[in-house]
Amino acid sequence: MKFFSGRRFILGSLALLCAANLTALPARAAHNTRQFIENFGNKLVAIVNSPIPLSEKKEQVLPLIQQNVDIDAIGRYCLGRYWKVATPEQQKEYIGLFHQVLVNAITDKLGDYRGVSFTIGNVTKSGDDESVDATLVRPQQPPATMQWIISNASGTDKVVDVVGEGASLRLTQRQDYSSYIARNGGNVGALINALKRQIAHHTPDAH
Amino acid sequence: MNSGRNGKRIRPRGQAHNAQAIQGTSASRRFSPRRAGLVLSVLALAGCSSIEAPVPKDPDALEDYKQANDRYEPLNRKVYNLTMKFDKWALRPVAKAYVWAVPHPVRNSLGNMITTMNEPSVFFNDVGAGRPRRAGDAFARWCINMSVGIGGLIDVAKMAGFPHHDNDAGLTMANWGVPSGPYLFLPMGPSSFRDGIGYGIDQGLSPWNYVPRGYGLISFNWAYNMMGVVHGRSEHLDDLDALQRDALDPYATIRSAYQQQRKAQAEAIKNDHRATVPLWYHVKNRQQG
Repeated sequence: MKFFSGRRFILGSLALLCAANLTALPARAAHNTRQFIENFGNKLVAIVNSPIPLSEKKEQVLPLIQQNVDIDAIGRYCLGRYWKVATPEQQKEYIGLFHQVLVNAITDKLGDYRGVSFTIGNVTKSGDDESVDATLVRPQQPPATMQWIISNASGTDKVVDVVGEGASLRLTQRQDYSSYIARNGGNVGALINALKRQIAHHTPDAH
Repeated sequence: MNSGRNGKRIRPRGQAHNAQAIQGTSASRRFSPRRAGLVLSVLALAGCSSIEAPVPKDPDALEDYKQANDRYEPLNRKVYNLTMKFDKWALRPVAKAYVWAVPHPVRNSLGNMITTMNEPSVFFNDVGAGRPRRAGDAFARWCINMSVGIGGLIDVAKMAGFPHHDNDAGLTMANWGVPSGPYLFLPMGPSSFRDGIGYGIDQGLSPWNYVPRGYGLISFNWAYNMMGVVHGRSEHLDDLDALQRDALDPYATIRSAYQQQRKAQAEAIKNDHRATVPLWYHVKNRQQG
């Protein structure tokens, strides 16, 4: 009974408590991540499936994206090594443009789908972030599996990447941008101009 | 991204088959990969001065260079531009016409047939990769679809619990630990040294390249090859249009997506440790037990 007496007991229980906490922590994190993506996904699908006109859908989706997707972080990632090269003004301008490009890319897709549903699979660790398996079911099309990468770096859970058929969207985008900049003499201004052109040529009713 | 015959490709591997159509004899058809290699090496020699990209000195740029794994970028870009020109003026319009003229269910059936007829090559590769469950699936798919599925037109195997999966010799070699080697853009689509060799092996593994003369089988084979190319392209009309429109450097985007995708495909095969018996067996057992 000596074991239970005194400091040893306190230390022992403290250690046990810590250990229990440690094992519980990832499980809790995974649970939160799952809930986050479930929430976000349900809201998104509700808008996509609703019978309201496309322009209204776009309006409703905008705040949802800005709240749940870490566009700044994705933008920085996509600029890669040129983020350091860019001047603070260029960085600011680029992030502003990137917001618009990304939002355009997402809202363009809204009209394509109707009657979609999704299921959430495993939540696994992926470096510092968490990866959530999700399957998107569209009518008359084979189900699409993808992984959503969720980061907590900004303080709250936010989407930082989507991986479809093994290809990470942000990595592909980064290699697109860096190749473009490299072929334009390493000039970040060239990318900014190209993004401006892209936004100017964007026709919102193309879909 | 299905080329029709041998699984996933961002661009169909079509033009190789078209080249065969012009050459015509069955011998040249059988050894077309070798011929393609010859053409490639001639091309390589012709442009010797500018086929290799200079290695950058800046450490950050070097990092990008290594990640892209594209030593022969200048040559690849030339092939890419040529291929895209051919696509723009020939393949894409034909694929669009095909979508316009042929109703969806018929196209679907033709797609099933093309997938089924490639199943032997998938099977041999599954065996090569040492994945009995996958090999069994491919084998069952072939037997069921070629008989009950009327030559593959109906994907009965999928309904019976044997969904299609892709495999090719490039992935098999990846599982053996063969490195991909530098990236290559071939006339039939994005590739690498390993995957290019794999493409040749797949041609050898496909029984359709061994059909005897006569009985109209060779004409059928041509039709099948052309069909595969056009059908494969038709499945990616919107994807490729969007990519060409949205990417600032479509070449680099295709390269990146292809490399990531191949890596993920090889990983998926490596991590497939499913038992040999199909799913319904377990379900049945569970119900009984």
